[in-house]
Amino acid sequence: MSGIPRTDLLTRYPWLKRALQSRAFQPTLMMVTLAVFTLAILTGLFGTPAGSRNFGIIFVWIVWWALLIIGIVPLAGRLWCAMCPIPAPGEWLQRRGVVERVMGRPFTRGLRWPRRLKNMWLQNFGFLGVAIFSAIILTRPQVSAWVLLGFVVIGIALSLLYERRVFCKYVCPVGGFIGLYSLVAPTELRVKDPAICASHRSKDCVTGNERGYGCPWLAYPGSLTRNIDCGLCTECLKTCPMDNIGLFIRAPGSDLLKPKGRRLDEAYKAFIMLGCALLYSAVLLGPWGWLKSWANMQTPGHWALYALGFITFVLLVLPGLFWLVAQLAGRAGDQRAGARQLFVDYAYALVPLGLAAWIAFSFSFVLTNGSYALAVISDPFGWGWDLFGTASFPWQPLSPRLIAFLQAGALTAGLLFATRTAFQIAREHSEDARQAFRAALPVSMFLLVVTLAFFRLYLG
Amino acid sequence: MIRREHIALLTIALILIGLPVAVFSYELGVRPSQAAHRVIDVTAAAPEAGGFQPAHVEVAVGETVTLRFRSVDVTHGIAIGPGLGIDLGHVDPGHVEEITLTFDKPGTYTYYCNTWCGRDHWRMRGVIEVRDPAGGTALGVERDPVIEALIAEGVDIDVRLSHGDSSEHVSEQPGVSPSAGRGAEVIAALTVPTDLRDAAWRFSHTPAQGLALLREANPEQSEDVLADAIAHLWLTEVSPETVALYDKNCAACHGQTGGAEGPIAATTAEEPAAFADAGYMWEMRGDVLYAKIRRGGMGTDMPNFGTVFTREETRALVDYLWRLAFDGEGKPLHGGMPPEH
Repeated sequence: MSGIPRTDLLTRYPWLKRALQSRAFQPTLMMVTLAVFTLAILTGLFGTPAGSRNFGIIFVWIVWWALLIIGIVPLAGRLWCAMCPIPAPGEWLQRRGVVERVMGRPFTRGLRWPRRLKNMWLQNFGFLGVAIFSAIILTRPQVSAWVLLGFVVIGIALSLLYERRVFCKYVCPVGGFIGLYSLVAPTELRVKDPAICASHRSKDCVTGNERGYGCPWLAYPGSLTRNIDCGLCTECLKTCPMDNIGLFIRAPGSDLLKPKGRRLDEAYKAFIMLGCALLYSAVLLGPWGWLKSWANMQTPGHWALYALGFITFVLLVLPGLFWLVAQLAGRAGDQRAGARQLFVDYAYALVPLGLAAWIAFSFSFVLTNGSYALAVISDPFGWGWDLFGTASFPWQPLSPRLIAFLQAGALTAGLLFATRTAFQIAREHSEDARQAFRAALPVSMFLLVVTLAFFRLYLG
Repeated sequence: MIRREHIALLTIALILIGLPVAVFSYELGVRPSQAAHRVIDVTAAAPEAGGFQPAHVEVAVGETVTLRFRSVDVTHGIAIGPGLGIDLGHVDPGHVEEITLTFDKPGTYTYYCNTWCGRDHWRMRGVIEVRDPAGGTALGVERDPVIEALIAEGVDIDVRLSHGDSSEHVSEQPGVSPSAGRGAEVIAALTVPTDLRDAAWRFSHTPAQGLALLREANPEQSEDVLADAIAHLWLTEVSPETVALYDKNCAACHGQTGGAEGPIAATTAEEPAAFADAGYMWEMRGDVLYAKIRRGGMGTDMPNFGTVFTREETRALVDYLWRLAFDGEGKPLHGGMPPEH
């Protein structure tokens, strides 16, 4: 993978550069998604409560989710963040404009985001909060619509209070995991030559100029090294007077091997995502009906137990086990790094496996229920419409064998990718490859056990 | 540049304001105006969650209306009666089933769920009131001669025989389960009194009373043979439609084979009648069964079906109940003694 030559797509395809430099690029994408989002909210609030016949549920939690986790994130990282409609109203209000660069003071109190919250913890807890209610949020159109509307309201409020896109960078639960998994993507937006940035004084990419805004994600492209910090809004591409921004094809997962950016909050995001994938698979695909009943909030007491177990597993059990594994790895490889550093560093090996697990998990319900999309596109509210003649399209799940085959493929690829990453991280702490191999063994065993657990859940 | 910004703002306004306006204009304005006649949307939910909304619909005589049913929770079965023969089948959550009707005379009809949908399934009903604008209301309680005759006779329709509580009727009950099949083989050798050949007499008397009559005419025959003959006499032809009517409307409580083992039997205020219990049915009159079906049972959770079934359908259901009781040999739907006997 490291043999993939780094290629600047903007140099190779000038038309792409012109498109991305256009101020209409991002608002156009946002308006398309805003239209779909608005329909999803309307159908959620006013359409049938039957999730399988409601556009909001089908298009948000099946179509969008499939596009995001199986397509966009693995290939283009944070591209969704560039077109997401949720922060759009807040950002447009803040900028007092939609397309053009509006000069002057933005419509915001412009507060600085608290230093203590400049991390992923809010996103971690936000995702967990959504996760423990997910059996309700993902199946009940009204609940789903109110949650999405809530995100918009929070986005607007934060835009009016704080500078730039703090909602996306520090609050959005979806943005958090997209950011983490964007580390795996084979694409990146980076400066072509950091030396040019270092010598360039005006730093238009940070301050903005008449062609565009300063980075809404509060990043300095000149020192940008990981996709997690870049929302692909392409403002820097517009503002850079030195033509020093490129969109590169690169070796997948190369961000995982950059020790400088690794943090405990991101490591925990990896545990939360992997743990959630495991638990969702157990609840929704496993043979334990009682567990599904507990998750569905049929009785508050059982749900409280479920939520407690969920949080304990994700925040304590899984990281606790991995802590032991990381220490074992350190000893096996005679590594000198501290316990916390080993724990955090090796946790990045979980990222490719976590993404693969989510892809595999998504195959199960996307390929089973995807055919509902044809019906709801003709009858989005379940009111008996037939706009395109497909309202009666029957539910047609794909063959379970094909789904199992795809899941097995995704998990195997994820395991190999993760094991390789574990070895590369071990190499950072080792003097030679043999030491690194010994250190990577416990981590690889952990990865294997987790993968086998997924195999057990998916393939029986 | 300013033009581009204006286009963007216009597009956003179209999305945030135009889209909702377009959706509701289409649903509330365009669709109804495109329909050739009035469309009445009826939401179906389990009774615990509100049942039918609306539960009362007014239609003028001669007016053509489309009733559009949509389920919002579980699968319901939608039928309209009495006498219309309308069964829309299952309406799954999020799906819509509709029917266009023209009522040519005043009256009251009932739309009801005939697929068990929850604890209070039997409460899930709505009323279509057909009024004659010229003649004012012509509605009223229709008198039923069978029920009126029972009341005049002083018969307590709500009296209930307990299952297995047949000891007090021992003298009248056969020792074995009477079988219509065996009865068909012996009936030709018996002297059958005229009353017993009369369907109206049988309808207003119990098999036990019939046995007493048959015994008088055939004192040399054993009780078992006579009981089989009575079982045979009490059976009439039953159509598949009647069986389907029973399965959809009665089986949830009384069980598909009449064993009172339906899925909600355990939840009713009183244990449902077991029609397969020949001992229970031996003491039962056809007209009382008829009245119970049409009027319902006070405090028993037995709903009234008089607003749902026609009298003919009710009579046919009673005929089927005798089959559940006495037709213990494979329960053929056809055969037995035709009604005119």
